[in-house]
This record gives sequence, C-alpha cells and structure tokens, in this order.
Amino acid sequence: MKTQLNTNTPKTKVEKEPVLKGTLASVLFLGFFLIFTWVSVYFLFLNRL
Amino acid sequence: MMNGTWKVDARDGKLAMAHIYVAFVALALGGLAGLLQVLVRSGKFELPAGISYYTILTTHGVLLGLVLTTFFIIGFQFSAISRTAGTLSDRIRFWGWVGFWLMTIGTAITAFYILIGEASVLYTFYAPLQAHAGFYIGLTLVVVGSWISGFATFAHYAKWKKAHPGQVSPLLTFMSVVNMILWLICSLGVAATVLFQFIPWSLGYVDRINVLVSRTLFWYFGHPLVYFWLLPAYMIWYAIIPKIIGGKMFSDSLARMSFILFLIFSIPVGFHHQLVEPGIDPAWKYLQVVLTFMVVIPSLMTAFSMFATFEMYGRSKGATGLFGWLRKLPWGDARFFAPFIGMLFFIPAGAGGLVNASYQLNQVVHNTTWVTGHFHLTLATTVVLTFFGAAYWLIPHLTGRVMTKAMNRLAIIQTIVWSIGMIFMSGAMHFAGLLGAPRRSAFSTYGDAPQALEWIPYQIAQAVGGTILFIGIILVLIIVTNLAFFAPKGETEFPVAEVAEQAERTPLVFENWKLWIGIAVVLILIAYTVPFIDMIQNAPPGSKGFKLW
Repeated sequence: MKTQLNTNTPKTKVEKEPVLKGTLASVLFLGFFLIFTWVSVYFLFLNRL
Repeated sequence: MMNGTWKVDARDGKLAMAHIYVAFVALALGGLAGLLQVLVRSGKFELPAGISYYTILTTHGVLLGLVLTTFFIIGFQFSAISRTAGTLSDRIRFWGWVGFWLMTIGTAITAFYILIGEASVLYTFYAPLQAHAGFYIGLTLVVVGSWISGFATFAHYAKWKKAHPGQVSPLLTFMSVVNMILWLICSLGVAATVLFQFIPWSLGYVDRINVLVSRTLFWYFGHPLVYFWLLPAYMIWYAIIPKIIGGKMFSDSLARMSFILFLIFSIPVGFHHQLVEPGIDPAWKYLQVVLTFMVVIPSLMTAFSMFATFEMYGRSKGATGLFGWLRKLPWGDARFFAPFIGMLFFIPAGAGGLVNASYQLNQVVHNTTWVTGHFHLTLATTVVLTFFGAAYWLIPHLTGRVMTKAMNRLAIIQTIVWSIGMIFMSGAMHFAGLLGAPRRSAFSTYGDAPQALEWIPYQIAQAVGGTILFIGIILVLIIVTNLAFFAPKGETEFPVAEVAEQAERTPLVFENWKLWIGIAVVLILIAYTVPFIDMIQNAPPGSKGFKLW
C-alpha cells in the first residue's frame, strides 16, 4: 500500500490580535490627565501650607 | 443570544415601568428644587413664602440622590434579569411589587416631612441635626423595600442556576446580582444607624446620640452607595452599548472581574469621607485611603474595555489611523450618544475623586463646592446621562412603542444642553471650591469678606448652568412622556451585546459567592473593627438634637 502523503497539513489557526493602538493612546491620555489633576491640586495644597 | 428570551414579559415590564415612573417624577421635583437652589445661591433671588433654602436642598438631595437612582436602578435591573435569565415567576414578581410599594410609601412619608419643613437635615442627615421621626421611618421603608427587591433578584438568579447547572450566568443577571449584594451589605450600615440611633433619639426615647458612630455608619453606606449608582451605568456600558453600536463586547471575563473588584473594594472605604473628622486614628484613615485607591483599578479596566470595544468596532468598519475609529461610531443615535458623553465626563469626575480621597488634597477641597461639583459629574452626568440613554430604548421596549426620529433628535439636543449646563455649573463649583467656597450653605457674603466676594462670579455661573440643566430636565421629561404614552406603537429591541470571538471563555470562579463575599466581609472587618471599638469605648458625651432651620 502506498503511503499517502497528506497534503492537507492542518494549518495552525493564527489568532490575530486586534489592533488597539488607539486604545493605548486613549488610556495613556487618561492616565496623564489623572496625574496632572492630582499634581495641580497637590501644589495648591503646598502653596497654602 | 444564547440565554433567555428576546422580549421582557409584559408583566415584568409593568413592574419595571412602575419604578421608572417614580424615578422620573422624582427627577421633575428634585430638578425644580435644584433650580431654586442655584438661583438663591447666586444672591439675586430669594425663596418666597419663607421657604427655607435647606428644605429645598434636602428635597433635591433625597429625591435625586436616593429616589431617582434607587427606583431607576431596581426597575432597570428587573427588566435586565427578565430579559437575560427569563421571565420572573409569579412569586418573585409579587415580591418585586411588595418592594416597590414599600419604597414608594417610604418615599412619600419622607417627602412629606421634608416638605412641611420638619426634616431640613440634607440627604446625609448628619447628627446632631434632628429631623422628625417620620423622615427616618420613611427612609427605613425605602431601604427595606429595596432589600426585598434584592432578595427577589437573588431568587431569580438561583432559579436560573438550578436550571442551568455548571453554566456561566447571563452577564446582565450576574451584574444585577453583584450590585444588589453590594447594596445589601452597605445598607446594613444605614439601617443600623437609623434603627438603633436616629429613630429612638428622634422619638425622645434617648436624649443623646453618638455623632461619630452615626457618621461612620452613614459613610460605611454612603460610599458604596456611589457604586450602587455607578454599576448599573457600567452594566449598560459593558453589556448593552457594544450591541447598540453594532460591535461586540471586548471581554465578558474582564467585565465580571471589574464588578467583583467593586464588590470587594468599594465598601471598606468610608473614612475617605471623614478625613478631617476627629476621633478616628490617622492610621485607619490611611488604610481606607489605600483601599479607596484600589477601586480605581476596576474603573480603569472599564475605561480600557470601552475604548477597546469602540476601536475594534471602528476598525472592523475599515477605520485607519490612531483615532479613525472614533468617526465610525453612531453619533446620531441618542442611545449611544448620551451614555458616551456620560463616559467622557467620567474622566474629570474620576480625577476629582482621586483628589477627594487623598489625605492632604482633601484638606484643600473638604466641604467646599468642589465636592458638590464632583458628584454632579459622577452622578448627575455620568450615571444620569447613561440612564437617560437607556431610557430611550428601555421605555419603548417595555411599553411596546418606538422612538421617532424627531424624539431621537431631541434626545441628542438634550444631551448637548445637559453637557453645556453641567460644564458651567460643575466647572464653577470646582473652581469656587478651590477658592474655599463652602458647600451646603445658602447665599452669604460673610460680612463682605474679600475671600467670599471672590466666589460670587462663580455662583452666578452656577446659576446659569443650573438653569440650562433645568431646561435639560424639561427636555428629557418630554421625551420620556412621549416614549411612555404617545410614541407610535411598535417593537423596540432590548439590546444585549455578544462577546468578541477573540475573548477567552469566562471561568465559573466569578460566581463563587462564598469566596467574594467572604473577602469583602474580611476587608470590612479589618478596616472597621478597631476604629469602631475605639469610637464606642472612648466616646465623648453624646449630643442632643438640634433643629437649626
């Protein structure tokens, strides 16, 4: 019996990661805004000591 | 949709709508009170017929902070569990109605005593201000009614779990259960102070009240109360908005994880409202501040998840560039637009919250109008705009009607009007607060002190913003009345999002209630036991009641 070559090698399913660079930029902006607000009021606190 | 039915059963819809009607009546009356307040606070108007500013202020806080929110939330949750975990049984629906009537009767009693001027103690009812006992008894009925609705929710969830062993529950049902557990645990605090302290004291059975204990029990309840308002908004963001925009939910597990984190971390944090309060050791305040900052994590997870949902949808529609996906979102759809604007306002709201909860920074803003501005961003914009956006599909779904294009356009205008009004009002409150303007006070120039005079332009801006917001309330009431009674008959979808294909399977561990409630209870005991013993053992003499209005 001839050995049959399996030509249909199973392809590994490539999980495509979604592109989320806009999300990254958005959360970085959000983080910056939180820190900016906090530091602003902190300096107000220091000025009034 | 794999679980449950497509349409909320008409009998469940009636129960949900009953709650929603009361919520919007509260909005109308509470909103009117808010308008009167900002006009008085501008210094240009006085209330007629000797009505006290503080009566109006109490009306505003109780009707909008407690009644509008609790009724809308419970109505929305009943419809959500009916939609996703199947029609309520007759018995569960019966108890839902018992809860509704207890809450409504309680609200009527409380409102009566406020309006006759016997309970101008503001919605926080701090001792030693003493209201008529009817005020506290009415509030007790509201809380007891909400507990009954909470247990009805749990019973419905348990029934679903029994019928679907080993399966992950529908997301909206899971989230409703988390919110009601949170509510039950935290409202034990307010129930304890009202039943054991305020009611005997206001009836004259005891002369004096331990002020610090009462305030501590109030804030044990008061901060998670904020999350009880916020979590239903998050339910709409996580589980409904993706469907409205035509996309998928980024991750079911992430949504459940964030809710569990709220359950764990949002309760043992009440001391951050009492940072300037004497009688609590600073070490315990510090611990609770740290726990407060832990609550930031699930909120940031939510922000990430929402951005990701929007970006994935936009890119699936061919968006390119860093922010090209923003253009693909359905800006003309009020069901999306109103909650989205709510999300945007949550960014400055969250930033302000970090300031409030920080020990030193709190001294800059404590008891100033900054705080009022802060919760008008969180509750009165983020939460309320999300609820309005939900009402635009929920009410027609429950009443068998459809929203017309004209009403949709009006709802978009309403959102814009609300945003402009709030930028003026809340913005002015924040800035005046930084300059030291006190909250909870009628207009005063404090003997024309230069510092007090600095606040007046901001208080006028507040009045302008408040007036614009009142126009926003009239607009939303027009829309809601139309959707409930006059819109054309038809079918409106109750949108429930599906999870994105790439998302991981949701593990069952999120429904290990013993574990999560156990951790929550342990944290509460750690954060409160020692300071509480201290407050009772080293208590100063209690205070007699005062009626200062």
